[in-house]
Amino acid sequence: MPEAGAVAVKFLRHLAAVTLVVAVVVIGGLAWGHFGASTLVGNLPGRNKVVTVPHVRLKDLPPGTEVVARPGPHGPVIVDVSDSGGMNLGLDSMFQAVNLPVVRQTLEIEAGVTAAVVILDIARRRLRRFLRARRLQAGGPAQRREQRE
Amino acid sequence: MTSQLRAAPESGRRRRIAARTRLDFWFDLVLLVAYTLAYSYGFTGIGIHEWLGLGIGLALLIHLTLHWDWVIRTTGRLLRPRGPDKLIWLVNLALLIAMTLCVLSGILISRVALPYLGINLTRIGPFWSRAHTLTAEVTLGLVPVHVALRWRWIVRIGRRLLTCPRPGRSR
Repeated sequence: MPEAGAVAVKFLRHLAAVTLVVAVVVIGGLAWGHFGASTLVGNLPGRNKVVTVPHVRLKDLPPGTEVVARPGPHGPVIVDVSDSGGMNLGLDSMFQAVNLPVVRQTLEIEAGVTAAVVILDIARRRLRRFLRARRLQAGGPAQRREQRE
Repeated sequence: MTSQLRAAPESGRRRRIAARTRLDFWFDLVLLVAYTLAYSYGFTGIGIHEWLGLGIGLALLIHLTLHWDWVIRTTGRLLRPRGPDKLIWLVNLALLIAMTLCVLSGILISRVALPYLGINLTRIGPFWSRAHTLTAEVTLGLVPVHVALRWRWIVRIGRRLLTCPRPGRSR
């Protein structure tokens, strides 16, 4: 039981240290926003959904805006844009198959980066093993030379 | 008698380490799934996105706390010429900064969760929306690297936990 108490105290001590570190980052972030807000000007590529229809270009849609589109001969055609009458929380969006590509894209990026790092790690370890084996094959003289150096 | 006294805490320590490993594995897996869902904003919708983001913020505090020993140990070894975890330490630091700023900017631009809690932030400029997008993109690059740099541990523990699940026994 005293051991559980010691573990709890240690956890709280670590939590306090982590909170302090996070607070430093938060203060840094707030300072960035206050003094260097101009460093993030212009549009960043990425999440903003750009929907193009003939003669109409919708971008930077506010969260909660619902765009109903259907495929057309020149790309998607907007059927309806609703951003009035309160915010749509999109609580049912996970159950709509049309939204699955979003999560699939995230998974693909994660899987791709993970695979690349794992392959690099395996290659690095094999190279090290190969170099070590070659050094050992070279035998004593090399080691003696290293010692002399 | 002495050996018995020594053996008891030793076995307890072993059991605790095994439980900790299991906790680390499942907690981190849930965190990864939650992050993947939270990032997929178009999939979850704004409500779940924001609440998940807040939950991830709190979970990250716990995740860091659970691994604080590693942080201290590795930071102390950084100046050694052949520190094994230097790259992981750097990735983790970048991820800590990016994730904290992502959660912070997400809180500041929140349209659902914070108003629900009775907090209405005014005068939040476009900077924080852009910062949120930027830091989210950075985390999407860093989270898989963070995971992949520990792939051997994940494969080893995952294989042990998933292939022969014996909930009553410690490993």
